[in-house]
Amino acid sequence: MKFAIALFAAPHLPASRRALRFAQAALDGGHEIVRLFFYQDGVHSAASNVVSPQDELDLPREWREFVTANGLDAVVCIAAALRRGVLNAEEAQRYTRPAANLQAPWELSGLGQLHEAAQQADRLICFGGH
Amino acid sequence: MATLHILSHSPFADSRLASCLRLLGADDALLLSGDAVYALQPDTANLQALQLMPTSVALYALDEDLAARGLQAPERVRAVDYPAFVELCTRYAKVNSWL
Amino acid sequence: MSKSLLIISRQAPWSGPGAREALDIALAGGAFDLPIGMLFLDDGVLQLSTHQQPGNLQQKDLGANLQALPMFGVEDLYASQRSLAERGLGAADLNIAVQRLDDSALTALLDRYDQVITL
Repeated sequence: MKFAIALFAAPHLPASRRALRFAQAALDGGHEIVRLFFYQDGVHSAASNVVSPQDELDLPREWREFVTANGLDAVVCIAAALRRGVLNAEEAQRYTRPAANLQAPWELSGLGQLHEAAQQADRLICFGGH
Repeated sequence: MATLHILSHSPFADSRLASCLRLLGADDALLLSGDAVYALQPDTANLQALQLMPTSVALYALDEDLAARGLQAPERVRAVDYPAFVELCTRYAKVNSWL
Repeated sequence: MSKSLLIISRQAPWSGPGAREALDIALAGGAFDLPIGMLFLDDGVLQLSTHQQPGNLQQKDLGANLQALPMFGVEDLYASQRSLAERGLGAADLNIAVQRLDDSALTALLDRYDQVITL
């Protein structure tokens, strides 16, 4: 089956790890992930500046490695990201902010990508919430 | 079209479990994950409410969350791992996570 | 044929970005001509109250976004009768036209949609 997976939680919340473990199990089970879409505080799970203590789970790194290793389409909602201070180099320049903290493999795009993924997938599953 | 509902918040903290139980269709299923497994805390109204759900409503709990909290799944609740969680999603027509 | 999506909005209007970001999903879906429905449940029904003055909190007025829903093709708007009653909201207190549904009607509503996002 084709899954669209949406994440709404920051990396320090259990929902982010749960989403990753689900995504891994989906691929291991022979399913396809049409897109990962990070919305609301989920944009922080894609941020490059999170520093995890050495003896703790580095979830942003795990997400990055998972997306890269599997060549997944990983989209971060641009409106949610800007509002929360998660910017790639292009946006940091556009809004003259001091630093970029979003890098490849993450792409910034709009909610249309969430809808497109939901239309293409057999199942839409969301993780997160405050 | 049966729905798999997923809860991940403590039922003592807010209204998600209560609202979900009111909306549940006869063939729907409920997966408890994260702090929502506290709904299985023994001798509580929440556990009683779950036990009273029609048997057509399947109940599941994520095994890692049960273990972390020292909870046992009662007989009508099936503990699932991530592969089983994925499989559940394919078995129900849609998934509704109560974010 | 497009899959239909029901968005269940459960957050109060001024509790954070939840209410606004749920509306944004609905408006985006409408803009792409997708079949979208929106259900206001639990504290989400508080977004529908006419007795609000958002300016004081220096936050965007969600009322405008709510009014825009039909213009974006999102006309299937629902609210939980129970949630409204719990919060003392009657038909006269609402700022947009919604169908008020009881619990069994909500179960049937959920069943009619291909996908759902509850936030």
